[in-house]
Amino acid sequence: MSQTWFQHTFSRKRFRTRNQATALAILGVAVLLILGSLYLSQVASFAITNREIEDLISRRDQLKRQNEQLIGEIASFRTVPRLYARAVEIGFRPATNSDINYLLIEGYNPQRANAQLEARAGRQLEAAAPVYEETFSGWLERQFTLLRDQFESFGS
Amino acid sequence: MQGLTPQQSTIQARLPFVAIFLILMAAYLVINLANFQFFPRSVRQELEKIGSSVTSTTLRLPAERGLIFDRDGEPLAFNIVQYRLGVSPALVADDEQLMKLMAPILDIDEFELFRKINSENVWEFVAGPISAEQGQAIAALDELSLGLEEIPKRFYPQGTLAAHVIGIVLDDGLVGTLGVEGAFNDTLSGRVLDLSISNVPFDLPEDRPAEQRGNDLVLTLDRDVQFWVESELKAAVEEYKAYRGTVIVMDPRDGDVLALANYPTMDPNRFLEIEDPSLLENAAVQDAYEPGSIMQVLTVASALDTGAITPYWTYNDIGLIEVGGQEIYNRQFQSHGTSDAATVLVRSMNAGVATIALEMGAEGFYSMLRAFGFGQPTGVGLFAEEPGDVKIPGDTNWNESTLGYNSFGQDLKVTSMQLITAFSALANDGIMRQPRIVRQVIGEDGVEEARPTTVRRVVSSETAAIVQDWMKRVVREGAPGAFMRGYAVAGKPGTAWISTAVGQEYGEHSTIVTFVGALPASEPQAVILVKLDRPQQYYGHAVAPHVFKRIADRLVILLEIPDDEVRGRLEAADAVTKAGES
Repeated sequence: MSQTWFQHTFSRKRFRTRNQATALAILGVAVLLILGSLYLSQVASFAITNREIEDLISRRDQLKRQNEQLIGEIASFRTVPRLYARAVEIGFRPATNSDINYLLIEGYNPQRANAQLEARAGRQLEAAAPVYEETFSGWLERQFTLLRDQFESFGS
Repeated sequence: MQGLTPQQSTIQARLPFVAIFLILMAAYLVINLANFQFFPRSVRQELEKIGSSVTSTTLRLPAERGLIFDRDGEPLAFNIVQYRLGVSPALVADDEQLMKLMAPILDIDEFELFRKINSENVWEFVAGPISAEQGQAIAALDELSLGLEEIPKRFYPQGTLAAHVIGIVLDDGLVGTLGVEGAFNDTLSGRVLDLSISNVPFDLPEDRPAEQRGNDLVLTLDRDVQFWVESELKAAVEEYKAYRGTVIVMDPRDGDVLALANYPTMDPNRFLEIEDPSLLENAAVQDAYEPGSIMQVLTVASALDTGAITPYWTYNDIGLIEVGGQEIYNRQFQSHGTSDAATVLVRSMNAGVATIALEMGAEGFYSMLRAFGFGQPTGVGLFAEEPGDVKIPGDTNWNESTLGYNSFGQDLKVTSMQLITAFSALANDGIMRQPRIVRQVIGEDGVEEARPTTVRRVVSSETAAIVQDWMKRVVREGAPGAFMRGYAVAGKPGTAWISTAVGQEYGEHSTIVTFVGALPASEPQAVILVKLDRPQQYYGHAVAPHVFKRIADRLVILLEIPDDEVRGRLEAADAVTKAGES
């Protein structure tokens, strides 16, 4: 009896087909779920990483701005009027010409090296200096030509 | 149809209609899709833009503007960020608490703040621009409903120091104007970037590209010299009750502008509060004026160089000369008898220089004026530099008397920068260097050094030496106020009447006084121009030389220029060393 029922149940073609379809559907859904969850976890991971990068960029920009702010503050503290006022406060005064003594050391000229370099550069510049040769009539002629060209270009 | 239930028969009968309907719909979609593909380009781009606006936002990022430093690297201009604060009232959870947290940070009225937090608008502006500290304190509240927008701001830590040289920046830090900010705007401003930011969370965030930043500038200005020059100029303008004043210090050997000051001046950090727009004018390069008798030096140098006169030239001065139907008088109608060219300069004899100009002729005179750089901008590198106004033969408003007036600096207009450049050429052995305010440009590719360049030789070395010598005599005998202990100074004071559209400006103090001096005279390392507009003292030789001396006294210390005796001993010792070496 029980065998008949079993055979009856499993020998039904239609039932077998439905069973396979159901199994395939379940399998498909499972695969989709796995793929979906993998995709979502990947996307979430991307989003988190990008958020972190954004935070780091924004933190870096903020630090940069703070740094600039500090440079500004330091520069404000180092302005000449402030330094001058502070120096006067602690007892300094501007040196005058008579306060300065120059000591000459035999055979040593601190400015010599610079002077030589400057002289050399000066000579080079002088060699390259064009002589001003333009005459007044030449200049007038040039101005007239320029004016004529302007009128001609205006006409055309 | 046998064996079908009535329901199945109905379905079968209707199926073709459904199929036809679906086919038609599909065809409609396909046709529309095809139609979309063949849209005109502009329409397609517009549609694409609408589409991308959903997934991305375009931010216009102003480039970080380049910084400005003095010659020793002290910052003169750089960037800070300020913020604009807004609130989304709908997102506020606890308005009372938020108000209590924000009010002390922003230092604004609690009631006003509460009103804004509870506004009906979707977005309500709260405050701005607020400082970086306030912005950071607000950001630290971590309140979702608050939004901070960055506003780039140019900051000038030295305040009013060198304000006209540096200039200002308008339009949220995008457009520089005045000074080097204006003249070098393209170099400083970098590249404004439209950055497309994705709204999709898994798209990688884009970073601001480094090459967008503007280049930095290193100026030729010396901050310490600039400070002293400004202090002395301010004191002089106040002491002599002048309308305004200008001082320029230039190194004649390379054309470097070491200091440039105008007074009254402005604070570039608060230029929007300025009520008098003339304060924004950089008088040193924008105010062309009649320089007066200071021009006599250039007339004499030109005549010497062109051979119109010799160093031994003399004439009999009767106190006046008629040029083109106009009588030109000496100062205070004095006559000096037989005088040489040096005496003409020492006594500032208008009739004398007019005689010299006539001997030179109009062609020679105006040719030399152009050689000295008048009538054209110097190209120093400052915003809106004026060319001045030099009338020449052939102009409708030129006549023969113009030559006479021009010879002693009247009836022509020049800028202070043109004057100091011309006198620097005389001080530099007759060679004119290109005046410059920018020394280096620092960019992504490294440092670009602006090397000193030569414009031209204006007068011969001999002429320059002779005129320098005569200018030393001018200081000794004609402008004792500029005399410096231990240093020979070559200089010339000048007083000019002020012309207006309807003639000469009358009044007891309607003069502009100028003094230009070079030191040390034997080997000039600095040329100083002092100009005072309408001082309460009548003549330039009584006012401007004193200001020159006060500046020069400080300058020799700051630039470490030893006095003539020490320099003589150094040179002698050097000559001995060289002789030994050879």
